[in-house]
Amino acid sequence: MSAALQVSGLVKRFGGLVATNDLSFSLNEGESLGLIGPNGAGKTTVFSQIMGELRQNSGTIELFGKEISALSTPQRIRAGVSRTYQIPRPFGDMSVAENIRVGLMPDDIRRMIFSPPDTERERELALSVGFSEEDLDRTPTELAMGDLRKLEMARTMATAPKVMLLDEVFAGLTTGEIAQISDLIQSMRKDGMTFLIVSHDLPALEPLIDRAIAIERGTMIAEGSFSDVMNDKAVQASYLGGA
Amino acid sequence: MGLRWFHFALWGGLIAGMFLLPQVVSNGTLRTMIFANYLAIFAISWDVLSGRTGYVSFGHPFLIGIGAYTTAILTKRFDIPVEISIPVAVVFTMIAGLLVLLPALRIRGSYFALVTLAFMELLYQLVQVIRPDLTGGTRGMSGIQTLTRGAANGYYLSTALMLAIAVSMWLLMKTRLGTALSAIGMNEESVRGSGLSTTRLKAFAFLTSAMIAGLGGAFYVHYLGSLAPRALFDINFLFTIIVAALLGGTSTIIGPMIGAFFMTFLLEYLRPVLPGAERYFVYGAIALLLYMYQPKGIVELVKRGFKNLSKGRTA
Amino acid sequence: MLQILIQGLLLSGLYALIAMGFTLIFSIGRVLNLAYGAYLMVGGYIYFWVSQSLGMPKLIGVAVAAALGVLMGVLKYRLIVKTLKGDHVAVEISTLILAVVIQAGIVLVFGDSSKILLPIVPGVINVAGASVTFNILIATLISWAILLGLYAFVRLTHTGRAMQAVSMDAKGAAISGIDPDRINLITWGISGALGAIGGVFFASYTQLSPSMWVAPLIISVAVVIVGGIGSILGTLVVAHIVGFLEVIVVATLAPELRGVFTMLLIIGVLITRPQGLFGREEL
Repeated sequence: MSAALQVSGLVKRFGGLVATNDLSFSLNEGESLGLIGPNGAGKTTVFSQIMGELRQNSGTIELFGKEISALSTPQRIRAGVSRTYQIPRPFGDMSVAENIRVGLMPDDIRRMIFSPPDTERERELALSVGFSEEDLDRTPTELAMGDLRKLEMARTMATAPKVMLLDEVFAGLTTGEIAQISDLIQSMRKDGMTFLIVSHDLPALEPLIDRAIAIERGTMIAEGSFSDVMNDKAVQASYLGGA
Repeated sequence: MGLRWFHFALWGGLIAGMFLLPQVVSNGTLRTMIFANYLAIFAISWDVLSGRTGYVSFGHPFLIGIGAYTTAILTKRFDIPVEISIPVAVVFTMIAGLLVLLPALRIRGSYFALVTLAFMELLYQLVQVIRPDLTGGTRGMSGIQTLTRGAANGYYLSTALMLAIAVSMWLLMKTRLGTALSAIGMNEESVRGSGLSTTRLKAFAFLTSAMIAGLGGAFYVHYLGSLAPRALFDINFLFTIIVAALLGGTSTIIGPMIGAFFMTFLLEYLRPVLPGAERYFVYGAIALLLYMYQPKGIVELVKRGFKNLSKGRTA
Repeated sequence: MLQILIQGLLLSGLYALIAMGFTLIFSIGRVLNLAYGAYLMVGGYIYFWVSQSLGMPKLIGVAVAAALGVLMGVLKYRLIVKTLKGDHVAVEISTLILAVVIQAGIVLVFGDSSKILLPIVPGVINVAGASVTFNILIATLISWAILLGLYAFVRLTHTGRAMQAVSMDAKGAAISGIDPDRINLITWGISGALGAIGGVFFASYTQLSPSMWVAPLIISVAVVIVGGIGSILGTLVVAHIVGFLEVIVVATLAPELRGVFTMLLIIGVLITRPQGLFGREEL
């Protein structure tokens, strides 16, 4: 069986700077992988390449055995991979429900026009990330950071991904909100979702992942269970000395 | 925001009111209303593209001009009946819209606005030198077939056209497509990140906008019976369209309509005081102040007003 | 041939002068000031009023025009650009509205009909069969002098270097103790003065009319876009491309087509190289 996501020999250069250096890893279906590394290690750059927001200089990205490097971002999302952003990017003048509606839309103008929005599914998604009924009509300007992350999760989930890439999902959240998002991820894992998660909050990350890889300056320096990776000398050196 | 009964009641009231108007007002007022109707059409056209997706077009007179010139040349020079020339004009305008669209798919913000402005100036200059036997050159054309006689008939035709466009655009923008277009204006990256091809959506917005502009331009020239390049490809004309949409309220349908009527009648009432182009001084100053104070326009002001009223009552 | 060369050089010098103020604003604030053409117009009209209607010395006319240009630039920055806080589209729309308001204001004060400006420096010289008016010759020389002066100002003075810093990275500049607000204000002021002085010469080259602001605006836009953001050198080079294109088209094709290639240049460059021919450079 092919992996859900297989990245092989990924290289990305920005001028003289090597942002991703021959990076390879794979993610089995239903698995949750943590991607850790100090600031500027190139974690978000990896996400951007998987999503096609940046094109790699060389290397392949396969989703369920299919090479997706030639696809546009929307096509990759249709193929089943979706991401959240470190800084949430909601549609500012739209309600929570409408924000989710955009994620639920088919990429087909005729169906956008002629079939009505699935308000029931919008509600379901909103509630599943922890919004209340009253929140549905709120606009992002009225929401706190934790709510914006939830909204970002819900809109990403709305695209029906099979693989989700989460970028710093806990940044700027209160302890209560972290617990809420963690619960959500755990329940999605039970349902078989595949995750690649970036987080600086290592204690919060640990229970959410099966395995971890650590990168520094775009190069993989350790791979294995969370504790193995954290005890790795190179990883400790990079966190202590590099940051 | 689904469709509710009161939406239809309001539209019904507006339609009935507008068609009954010739019974009560003078022909002079009707003639002003005709201009307001066409301005509303152009403003709606601008808003479908620029108000929604945030791609500000400074080249709408380019689209309107193509529609107007096409049907004028076809009817006057080749004696083609309007039943054919107007649809052809609309198609031509859409093709021209596609030409403008190709660069637009790559560039954003200020640069997009500039490309469209450059297209307008380009057409202005070309129309005067290329085949002046067809276009009428610098002086333009006159004696173009008119569709109606008398103020009342002209009013009925323009009102019907404007309301048909307004209602169909309103219905279209109520669908998920409208939501998606507005989403592009708020954050294009996030729309792509939601798995939607923004290129296709923008193309659709462009073509819809061009279609309305072509339709409006074609009917407008058959109302005026003449056209002149300097009046058409003119920054003042562009300015009137954009200001109507902005003042009324972008990303709505009723906004550009209100804006168009507000501006047309403002200009008309200024006429006795300031007969010439200096009217634009007051007009522009009002537009600028209102825009700086409330960029979302009159519609938003009214909404806020209502909100405050109902708050005042409950408190 | 020689005539084309001479006329091209002269016209290009004028265009460089016109475009400079527009380039400055675009590099410092990344804002397209669509009312820039209106500065030129006001400069031209004020000069006309002071020196021709009031009969004051010409130098005073230029000085008053420049002073008013500074005032307009500063006021616009304070009242519009700063209020709209970096919303570029809003700034463009409001400057466009402002341009139309200024145009209407000119009609209100000076009337609709166009006015001929007497040459600032009368006289004609014959260079290799081409007659060159002293007027445009002086305009070109002054334009070169102003451009050199500006270059020196940006490179050598403290304020100039601060302007460079803001144009590269406004936040970074703010952190290192530069007040971007002050720099912006100065830039808008300089831009206004440049526009007004450019307007005096442009008006003496063409004529004064309430719609004269569109052509120089388009030229400025072309120069900025094709030259790339914020490069004085790029501005100079592209002003020459635009100027020579125009002179060649007028001489060989038809005078009515003079602007067509400028337009095609804008469109072509924006589509193929949105960063401009010379890329993004520091000032």
